[in-house]
Amino acid sequence: MKNKLYSLFMIAFVAIAVSSCNDDETTPSTNNGPTTYNSGDVGLNFENIAGSVFLDPTGATNYVNASAETFSVTNFRYYISNVKLIKEDGSKYEVPNSYFLINANDTNSLLAELTDIPGGKYTGVEYMIGVDSARNVSGAQTGALDPANGMFWSWSTGYIFMKLEGQSSASSNNSFVYHIGGYSGVNRGQRTVSLDFTPSVLIVDGGKREAEIHILTDVLEIFKNPNNISIANGSNIMMVGPSSSNIANNYADMFSFDHIHNDPL
Amino acid sequence: MKVNLKYKLLLLLSMVVIVHSCVPDVDPPVTQPLFYQPEGFPATSGQLANNPVTYYGFSLGKKLFYDPILSLDSTISCGSCHQQFAAFAHLDHKLSHGINDLEGTRNAPPLFNLAWHSNFFWDGGSNHIEVQPIAPITNPVEMDESVANVIFKLKRSSYYPAMFKKAFGSDSITTQAMTRALAQFMSSLISANSKYDKVKAGSATFTVDEQNGYMLFKSKCESCHKEPLMTDLSYRNNGLDLHFAADPGRARITLQPSDSGKFKVPSLRNIAVSYPYMHDGRLNSLSKVIDHYRSGVIQSSTIDPLLSGGNMSITDAEKQQLILFLNTLTDPTFLNDKRFSEK
Repeated sequence: MKNKLYSLFMIAFVAIAVSSCNDDETTPSTNNGPTTYNSGDVGLNFENIAGSVFLDPTGATNYVNASAETFSVTNFRYYISNVKLIKEDGSKYEVPNSYFLINANDTNSLLAELTDIPGGKYTGVEYMIGVDSARNVSGAQTGALDPANGMFWSWSTGYIFMKLEGQSSASSNNSFVYHIGGYSGVNRGQRTVSLDFTPSVLIVDGGKREAEIHILTDVLEIFKNPNNISIANGSNIMMVGPSSSNIANNYADMFSFDHIHNDPL
Repeated sequence: MKVNLKYKLLLLLSMVVIVHSCVPDVDPPVTQPLFYQPEGFPATSGQLANNPVTYYGFSLGKKLFYDPILSLDSTISCGSCHQQFAAFAHLDHKLSHGINDLEGTRNAPPLFNLAWHSNFFWDGGSNHIEVQPIAPITNPVEMDESVANVIFKLKRSSYYPAMFKKAFGSDSITTQAMTRALAQFMSSLISANSKYDKVKAGSATFTVDEQNGYMLFKSKCESCHKEPLMTDLSYRNNGLDLHFAADPGRARITLQPSDSGKFKVPSLRNIAVSYPYMHDGRLNSLSKVIDHYRSGVIQSSTIDPLLSGGNMSITDAEKQQLILFLNTLTDPTFLNDKRFSEK
């Protein structure tokens, strides 16, 4: 009996909870007609971590990789491009001209601002780590893709998609350098990342709600899943080839969706 | 008094001329266009599509080309290793020389007809004329400078911001604007006015020896040194070495072992004035180059199929005729064109 009451109570609670979720999502709707949302800006916020702690990119903190090697990080940068926001109905909104250079040592770079996003509900985000082939073969680019940003190979044209540099006692010269790129061919370095917000939903309603997506970037993933990378076995990977491709396969899943900020303003 | 008046008039006249020449010129001037499509040339690479050559863009590019500000210690400019009288190659230097007398690993190539190239360097590693300059600027044994610092130095200069504004409508100095100006200057280095070109156009005739040399060229050389660019722009192993560890050439870019020892086929235009020859400058005369094909071709795993049959049979008399023909590819108009000169 007591159990039954409890069950009923739970059902009622869930019902209220669900209905309150619905209410929340339909708040913008009025009696005047169908819900409309204003277009607005969305922030893609990258928080660099090493396992369970925030990444210290100054080289002062030691971490342990999947090969049980101790290392620190002095430089961690990567390109995010071709951002697409996934709508509730599964269709995708492609953010035009979306190229961002995330630099762990530059806090201003950690927030990639997507401007003028159509109003509506979004359930996920998709992007490329790296730079598409077209921008690698079209001459000097500007903004995040300016070769002056130091993420560019000139002797064999192409963007460096990810740089990870640091110190490690596992290396004979106590340092390691991974520069991963390659815009075409079997060892190309671009990977597509798709992150699902579910059960969260991002409502873009310019001027009425904040809209920020928080993504965690785990540097430890560069050393594992699916390939165990050992600094001792190769502390300098700076050319396109099977080794760089192995690292690219690892960094393909270094991102995870954490949370969204979507409160009404 | 009379002299004074004459002098004043002359001064006034010259000022009018100077002022006139500063007026935004017709871009390009009708009589001497900075960039044009020579008769008979194939289509360009298209890399100027977003960067049409203008008088001010060209002028800025020329200023940058000859300015050592692009190097770390302001000692080396593009023009240091690319000298006009050598068709913008480095005469008599086997390998390029950088700051602090550092020596590179390759022979500075001549610069002309670059708008018909889609890839640059002996190994084709650079895929666009706009990004090509970044390699020599940042190479530790060439200019050893960072792009960011070059931009910083240009921004604080007293005259560059105004030149960028004239060239691109904005005094914001960016990597793209800098390299586009250089691309405009480099693309304007067109060589298409040699005796060979005049013969083709019907306004000159070869001597008998030159004509015989031309026929020999057609049968022995033209399959790689394709007319009218005098290169087919491909990468080939012409039998210089057996092993390629010192410089794998094209394989450095493609990472394909089958590309080892392959280098871009150089144009033969202005060849007589742009010695030494080969990617490492190992041969210092046309006579030695022809001797290589007569008796020095080394068979290796990646030897070009056109040379896999062994050495070419060329008699001494034919060799002389061939050299006489190659001399007709020298373009004095280009080599002496003041528009391209430092001063």
